[in-house]
Amino acid sequence: MNYNILTYCIYLPIIAVIMVKVGWMFYTHGEIFLLHLYKQDESIVKPINNLLLTGYYLTNLGYAIITLAYWEKVNNITEMLSTLSEHLGIIIIGLAVLHYNNVLCLNYLVKTKTLNNKSK
Amino acid sequence: MENSKIIIGYLIYLPIVIILTIYVSKMLFKNGKYFMLDIFKGQEDIALATNKLFEIGFYLINIGWALLILKISYNSRHEMSSQTLIEILSMKIGGFSIYLGVMLFINLFFFFRGRRKSRQSFKKVTNTPIYNVREEQ
Repeated sequence: MNYNILTYCIYLPIIAVIMVKVGWMFYTHGEIFLLHLYKQDESIVKPINNLLLTGYYLTNLGYAIITLAYWEKVNNITEMLSTLSEHLGIIIIGLAVLHYNNVLCLNYLVKTKTLNNKSK
Repeated sequence: MENSKIIIGYLIYLPIVIILTIYVSKMLFKNGKYFMLDIFKGQEDIALATNKLFEIGFYLINIGWALLILKISYNSRHEMSSQTLIEILSMKIGGFSIYLGVMLFINLFFFFRGRRKSRQSFKKVTNTPIYNVREEQ
């Protein structure tokens, strides 16, 4: 049991909890936007939302797991903390960027939709 | 027993990958059924059959690929440490998971495309009153 394995054991639960929580929040709150876009058509929104959630989990957790393969060598506790915070920070900032991008896209789509409906 | 770590690696890798594939394809095609019903306009037998065929294809491609990338090659004189094993496994499982996610999105894209195409042809051929009512909502 060296420091690297200990770091992995701390890193994986933290990142899993963050990703599952964030994904679940996107799932519940994004459904309202999708309902708006698909004219309240519940039967098609539910499957789309489920599939998007699954895809999100697969790609993000896959990326989080793959970073283990490129982890630098950890020698003591201070190094462990610094590398841990660095890797967690990269992933969380990436999530934030993706999230803002998504919100902007959704906002744009909803706006064009309402404009089109008004002009009809 | 110099290869025992590699065998442990295989024994961890295989169940994870196969369960992941089965779960994802169950999820994908349980939800894909609604798309198919939409595309084939309620002809249930054709929609379900197409869905099943897609599902079989998905299984074959993904499990085949998972088995193809199974091999762990480790050429070093030292015995493999458990840290190296964890790193190699994370590489393989993480990579496979991302690949599966991309496949899922490609499938979703095909569903959307089929749905849009079928709607367009529907609009051109028969402009029924029922469709207009749905459009105005």
